[in-house]
This record gives sequence, C-alpha cells and structure tokens, in this order.
Amino acid sequence: MQIRRKASAGTMQSSDLMVVVEPSDTLRVEIESTVKKQYEHLIRARISSTLEELKVSAGYIQVSDRGALDYAIAARIETAIRRASEE
Amino acid sequence: MSNPNPEFPKGPVGPASFDRPALSEARELIESQGLRFEPDFDDLVGLFESGRLVACGARAGYVLKMLAIAPSHQGTDALGGLVTKLILSAIFAGHTTVFVFTMPQNVASFEALNFRLLVTHGQTALLEHGPGLENYLASHAFQITQGHNGAVVINGNPFTLGHLHLVECAAKRVDRLYLFVVREDRSVFPFDVRFRLAQQATSHIRNVTVLDTSRYAVSAGTFPSYFLKRLDEVATAQMQIDLLLFAERIAPRFHIACRFVGQEPLCTTTAAYNKMMAEILEAHAIEWVELPRIEAGGLPISATRVRKAFATNDVETLRALVPPATLEFLQSPPARPIAERLRSKMEEA
Repeated sequence: MQIRRKASAGTMQSSDLMVVVEPSDTLRVEIESTVKKQYEHLIRARISSTLEELKVSAGYIQVSDRGALDYAIAARIETAIRRASEE
Repeated sequence: MSNPNPEFPKGPVGPASFDRPALSEARELIESQGLRFEPDFDDLVGLFESGRLVACGARAGYVLKMLAIAPSHQGTDALGGLVTKLILSAIFAGHTTVFVFTMPQNVASFEALNFRLLVTHGQTALLEHGPGLENYLASHAFQITQGHNGAVVINGNPFTLGHLHLVECAAKRVDRLYLFVVREDRSVFPFDVRFRLAQQATSHIRNVTVLDTSRYAVSAGTFPSYFLKRLDEVATAQMQIDLLLFAERIAPRFHIACRFVGQEPLCTTTAAYNKMMAEILEAHAIEWVELPRIEAGGLPISATRVRKAFATNDVETLRALVPPATLEFLQSPPARPIAERLRSKMEEA
C-alpha cells in the first residue's frame, strides 16, 4: 500500500496511541511513548511487522503512545495507512 | 465526586463528543479555572458531555493554550482527548512539533502525554510534543565544531551594516560564530529573505555559520500569557524563558561560550532585556559581551532607519546603512510588495 496523503488514527488517551502518517521518499518511524524506556523495541517491532504485512516501504510515521497493547498498535497503524492510501 | 483510584481514570459519564464551543462558554470555563482568555487562536476545541462543555483548549500556530477542564472532570482523561484533537489540528496545519506553555504544577500531566520539558522558571514551564529540539540539533550536527564559540541572535529585518559590524567584531573573538536568525515570521521581511541576506552579507567571514532558530527563540509574539496572574509579569517571563532555552538547551550543544549584542543606547525595553540576559547567561557560565554600535550620519544604524529609508525610496541613505547584498535585494522586484506594506503601515501610524 502507498501513503498518498496525510492521515491519522487513534488518540492520546490512556492505553491508546495516536498515529499520523504522511508521504515521504524513505521510511521513517518516530516513536514517543510513556513506556519508551521499557518497550520501545517491542513497539517498533510491531509497527515494522504491520508495515511489512501492508507492503508499506516509504512514509513518515509519527507515533505518540500511552501504553497501548500490541494489537491496538497494529490496528491503529493499519487504520492510518488505509486512510492515507485512499485516492 | 472524587476518583477513588487516580491511576485508573474515570470513563465518560454521558455521551461525549468534541466540537467547537461558543466563544462565550469557552471563555467562562477558561476563566473559571483562573486562566485568562486570549482571543487570538487558529483553533478552539471543546469536549461536551450530554451537551455541556466540560473541557476546552485552543491552538495558535504550533502553540497550545488555554487548556481548561471543569472540576467535575479533573482526574479523568479529558486532557488526553483534548490534546489529541489539538495536536492533530496542528499536524494537519503543518506543525509537526507542538509547544505548550503552562504552570510548573502541570508539567507531569503533559509529560504523561509524551510532552518533553524544555525549560521551566518561576511561574512558567515550556514543553514540546513531536520530533522537536532533538531533531533540530541533529539536523545541525554537521555544523557544530569544537572550540571557544560565540553566538549572535538577530531578527535582521533587514540585515544592516550595524549587524555586519557586530558579526565582524564578534567573529574575531571566537573560533566559530553562530549567527542565529529568528525564524518566526512576524516581521515585514519574510524569514527566507532575512536568512539569505544574513548569509550573503557574511559569506566573506570564514568562521561564521548562519543558523535558523526554528521554534527555539521565544518571542513576545508566540508567548501566551493566559496562565500568568499578572500582565506586568508577561514580558519578563517571556524573556526569561527565551534566554534559559538558549543558555540551557542550545548553547551547550554548539559549544557557545559567549553571546554578543549590540549596544542599545535608545530603547529602554532592550536595555532591560540586555541586563537580564547578562545575569542569566553569566549564571550559566556564558560570557555576555556588549559591542558598541556604528553610526551613519551621526546616528546609530538600525533596521528601523533602514525600513524608513526603504519605504520612502531614499536610496542614498540606504547605501550608508546596508551592505551590498541587502541593497541589491531592496532594489529588486520581489522587494516592491514589502515597500508597499511598509508605506501603508507608516500611514496608519
């Protein structure tokens, strides 16, 4: 899937995350998280695998996480990407 | 009703929704929380529950302000929802990084929303959300050199022979001189012009690097005062935050050991600012150096004089006040609309 425009999904409420994606020539993922110290590697891994499943190879992805569980991360990423790939 | 366990925020009690509140109801909620209503903003968001406004907040450019939550909803996650709406509004308006100026007792609430504290002093704290300062410093990493470096911060509206004299004198005293041009666009000359003229006019000095301040020069234009009790404290608080941001966050990364300013014989506000600057910088082991201004026709050269001469198309005076790069720009077609704007401003005054 291709990121064609700026789109978002999720919220910054507790146990949720906010995802904003926008077009870019390269793939860049920026993560802010209240549990960054403990879990950044796991959050990043889940985002990467979701992007791979969706065949996304380029885009600027900004994540602001407040301790979301991994399936919530995958769901929010997928929703944002699908919104961004619409014509 | 108190929340028995603040670790677990209460959920919404009735149907909740976000909408733009009426100015009067937003104002009432903001003032009920001891804050001041400031009418300049780009976006205003309210959280409604069963038709009642329970929280609201505003955005002016990349700055969030006037976040207020009704007592019945403090301790809930109202702030998270509100901040989501405001940050998304900022991002879609092109501001990836967002600032919030607030009271120091609110720092933890914003840190829980992934904001990072930039500076705090007295009654004011400044936090940011997004790639922000680290990204700014990383993007300039290749321009950072070791040594005894100096800094000059200018608006350069536009670049004058006075600026050039200051930069030339300062550059002789340091290994590298960083010339910061204030990014914020509230001047008649747009940022890209001010930046380019500073670069062109100083290109002959080998140890000068011209930099963009990005958001990290806090001017009176971006500094909100809604959370300060007294209006006469606003100017002081803004200057302190600006200087501490420079002294604590910027200067150490660029190895800046001294900051140079031009002497200010006329303006009392700037003189007070300079005194405060000397105190704050010295407390952070940064030398503060005031250099004498140069004169033309018996008066100090200032950007104000340049703007006047430019508006009245007084080329002879301009020649005595600005370097060739600025003169060339002032006589080029892109400068015409700027002269028009200056003339209409002068007529208003």
